[in-house]
Amino acid sequence: MSEEKVTSNEAIVRSGIAIDDTFAEAFGMSASGVVITADSAKWAQQSAVTMTGFGTSVIGCGAECGIDHEVAASDTPDGRPGVRVLVFGFAPDMVEEQLKNRVGQCVLTSPGSACFNGVEAGQKIGLSSGPRFFGDGWQTARKLGDKRYWRVPVMDGEFIIEDKVGVVTDAVGGGNFLVIGRDRVGVLETCELAVEAIAKVPGVITPFPGGIVRSGSKVGSKYGAPASTNDAFCPVLRGAVSSNLGPEDNCVLEIVIDGLTSEAVGQAMTAGLAAALEAGQSRNVTRISAGNYGGNLGQHHYHLKDYLP
Amino acid sequence: MSALTLKLRFAPPVRLNLSALVPGRLTGMSLAEICALPVSGGRQPLSVGECFEVSGSPGEVLRLEGGSDRFDYVGADHAGGEIVVEGAVGAYAGRRMKAGKLDIRGDAGDCLASNLRGGLVTVSGSAGCHLGLPKPGEKDGMAGGTVIVQGDTGEFPGERMRRGLLLVKGRLGENSGARMMGGVIWAEQGLSRGAGAQMRRGTLIGPMVETPLATFADCGELDLLIVRIMDRHWREQLGESAPPAITGPTRRLMGDMASLGKGEILLTQS
Repeated sequence: MSEEKVTSNEAIVRSGIAIDDTFAEAFGMSASGVVITADSAKWAQQSAVTMTGFGTSVIGCGAECGIDHEVAASDTPDGRPGVRVLVFGFAPDMVEEQLKNRVGQCVLTSPGSACFNGVEAGQKIGLSSGPRFFGDGWQTARKLGDKRYWRVPVMDGEFIIEDKVGVVTDAVGGGNFLVIGRDRVGVLETCELAVEAIAKVPGVITPFPGGIVRSGSKVGSKYGAPASTNDAFCPVLRGAVSSNLGPEDNCVLEIVIDGLTSEAVGQAMTAGLAAALEAGQSRNVTRISAGNYGGNLGQHHYHLKDYLP
Repeated sequence: MSALTLKLRFAPPVRLNLSALVPGRLTGMSLAEICALPVSGGRQPLSVGECFEVSGSPGEVLRLEGGSDRFDYVGADHAGGEIVVEGAVGAYAGRRMKAGKLDIRGDAGDCLASNLRGGLVTVSGSAGCHLGLPKPGEKDGMAGGTVIVQGDTGEFPGERMRRGLLLVKGRLGENSGARMMGGVIWAEQGLSRGAGAQMRRGTLIGPMVETPLATFADCGELDLLIVRIMDRHWREQLGESAPPAITGPTRRLMGDMASLGKGEILLTQS
């Protein structure tokens, strides 16, 4: 990140990588989260990974889910290692339904697991409203302070689940940037390092596989679907459509960021961009851009130039 | 922090109802108004000023110097601040208390913490019978809050308890947790006969139980996660006053099967 110059089309160039003068367009969402604990960090992680599966896009999956960070045993209610998972949806009731299903199928079933509130907020939604009835009448509650815990008998002991979780309605979904380069291996490695950097920012997730998307989309489809391939960024269509790619831009990968606050998304954008610029210069990365819909759909605009390190 | 001090002039000849003497009710009152408050009716009506030397100013702390087992309803409906009693109290101390602290530096009479809703009640001595018992017509006994008794308790502690913690460092009286519906009774010296009779829900904890009722099912020794959660919660809330940490598995007796049967007695490794 030594040199910096402005090209004729006002893209900033750093270390040979052009940063488009554009913005990421993101949307307001509701979000909640849980802390999953288990007898070991391995099993807390296993439960969290299972719960966040099929949670990439709110449109197709009902929710966008991801692991925020590990929680030290000293900071969990039961003194065991934990993992915080965040779940994003369009509205609190949608998040509640997703939590009910995901916790019921993926955390309740996981050996030794327990599930606690992971987001402190004034507004609460039910967490135990589905899973506790697995107890078939043998479930009991224990209220400690202002928290209520349900004890559900299971074959390895008891599944402990907190009654309510906090939900925020000013979360943000869809912060993003695109990494463009000459080859897929270099772009993928660059994105992996950017995702690792974003993972260190609390309160954000990158919900797609490994935090990376290869199927960026545009709104609408000739078949009536709500979204379809972003042809302007598909190298195989360069020349056939109004392409956004240069002659050497042979691969584009996107990193999508959801955050509990807009500030957290901004911090994650900065962390990710810094890592991508540093890693990309030796990995044939040529450009960094961002996905938007012209600015008319999303309430949150993250201009890349404002989030450069 | 402003404090109001009431020093007992003489041993009360009759039972006194001290329910008016809580910080929230005295706020904004002059000392003259406080002195005029009645504390006993009947043929020997007495006022605060006749029974106590009153000094200081009403605020968050109320101090009663010189206790008596004829002090009834001390801290009743207490909703914030601190009441310190240098001596004993009579019946119904802390009744329906909602918040704040009631520090009794002596013994407490019967029906301590009747229908307690919240806050912390500490007793440096022993407590009488029917700790937490509701009055006729009321549904719940202790319905929240924490009671810590350094000494012993009389019979039927925690009767019809619904929520909260009763921690007894000395000997817990017989028939503890009778008809209990929730909450936790922790007996550091163990549970006496009749523990948990007719309990529907809730938890009794102690190192042993004297003659457990036949209507409890032995679930065996278990490593219960909820014990760790309770332990951590009370350590954060009560500090050094918290119940002793439970190490190792606990033996679980589930009952009372003569009632709903979703309560439990947890026997720790002493």
